[in-house]
Amino acid sequence: MNWFPIYYREILLFQRRLLRLGYVVSALFAPLLYLLAFGLGLGKRVTLPGISYLDYLLPGLIAMTSMTNSYTWVANGLTVGRLHFRTFQVYVQSPVTPAAIMVGQTLAGLTRGLFAALIILTLGLALGSRLHLEPIFLLALLLNCALFAAFGVIVGMRSRSHEDTATFTNFFIMPMAFFCGTFFPVNEMPWPIPYLIQALPLTHTNHLLRWPAYTTDSLISLAVLLAYLIACFTVGMKIIDRYGE
Amino acid sequence: MITTHDLTKIYGKVTALDGLTLEIPRGEIFGLLGPNGAGKTTTIKILTTLARPTRGWATIHGFNVVTQRLEVKRLIGVCPQELNLDRELTAFENLKIYGMLHRVPDLKRRIRDLLELGGLAERARDPVKGFSGGMQRRLLILRALVSRPQVLFLDEPTVGLDPQVRRQLWNLIQDFKAEGITVVLTTHYIEEAELLADRVGILSRGKLIALDRPAALVANLGGYAVESTCNGRRSYHLVKDKSEAVTCSLGEDEEVLIRPVNLEDVFIKLTGERLSP
Repeated sequence: MNWFPIYYREILLFQRRLLRLGYVVSALFAPLLYLLAFGLGLGKRVTLPGISYLDYLLPGLIAMTSMTNSYTWVANGLTVGRLHFRTFQVYVQSPVTPAAIMVGQTLAGLTRGLFAALIILTLGLALGSRLHLEPIFLLALLLNCALFAAFGVIVGMRSRSHEDTATFTNFFIMPMAFFCGTFFPVNEMPWPIPYLIQALPLTHTNHLLRWPAYTTDSLISLAVLLAYLIACFTVGMKIIDRYGE
Repeated sequence: MITTHDLTKIYGKVTALDGLTLEIPRGEIFGLLGPNGAGKTTTIKILTTLARPTRGWATIHGFNVVTQRLEVKRLIGVCPQELNLDRELTAFENLKIYGMLHRVPDLKRRIRDLLELGGLAERARDPVKGFSGGMQRRLLILRALVSRPQVLFLDEPTVGLDPQVRRQLWNLIQDFKAEGITVVLTTHYIEEAELLADRVGILSRGKLIALDRPAALVANLGGYAVESTCNGRRSYHLVKDKSEAVTCSLGEDEEVLIRPVNLEDVFIKLTGERLSP
């Protein structure tokens, strides 16, 4: 499977954009704002049983940042590359399989999401937060990046304009960022919201990043993330396979 | 060999391509001629696996463009109408990624040779966004050649270029024939088709309305065209020979142009409309 050229291209583009300060700042502005405003400001007034608010907030921000960055990179890149610059058509006219395109795009989104998450993680640790950096923490983070990058492929391939991508973001990504336990515990919300929230992948990432223990709950959360990844990957691959103009 | 049979593409209520049947032998430069919206790009899109036909079929060297897409894609090089290069990447990187997608052996040397051929060797490490339109168009053609394609599709390769650059590209395309590459070229420039193509197919509103060597199409029409303008109204006649052309022009008050017929006259005769905008 010849996925590497697709990944290589995306990473070259990522490198070029990294050199632009404005690009990095805009990509990380929102999570940094949340970390400073909520973590340092609100954090001193809010208390949670057995944990400081900053310790509670940081894993949520890492999950949210990795989600938005993985998703946005792939969804926007594909939408613009397919509809405006028509660079996606180069892949379609090259002897690579839909699976290879999917792997290349997903890994590129994963790399981007991981990069953003590491910046937030480093800053949070520098501010005095304590995290449990277990292997299961890293596994959950990787799965989170991969599944939202794969979801980004679906959105990027389905969007008929840049506005369509923004609509998907507003209806799927933004609500998850706020209601999946990033900023506050969700189990005290009115019925049936906690049950609905349990079905969303970011809830499980938040759970695994906050309590990275090898328990039944954690294994269920890992299985949920994996199932979402497989589903998004399969759907994305089918859409690429059926692509035609 | 490229073969199409009853190739049809319908978008909603619009028939972009209507029952195209033709054969293009190996090593031929084939020109697809027609105005905007005639179905040229649709034909290229189907043959390069980017679009699927609504009806009919097409094969390239025996491989079906719908059911054997990977095999087809290993044979072809595509230079699309739009400049779909990665503008933030360098010329070298653009060619490298394309070569990697096609698993080209000894890629560095291949890229170096092509950049030399296209006169872009000195700009290899520069980002494409600093290139002129002509340089980007040249790079696009070079990119299509990286994989040493047996069939090359050039969709309006010289559109928007100044005459000097256009002539440079014509020389490059003529060199492909010497290498035995089959070239499918779409254009709405008459002189381009006449100069480069071994045969041309004329498309109008999705239908193939003529197919022959440019010289044969012109010879069938025969003679001269007499163009004149009187009180702002343009008149146009086709006549058999020069003396008839002179006789025809005697009745005109204003400036008269007498010239040998060309492919555009063939097109006007067949469709009643002009080819060039």
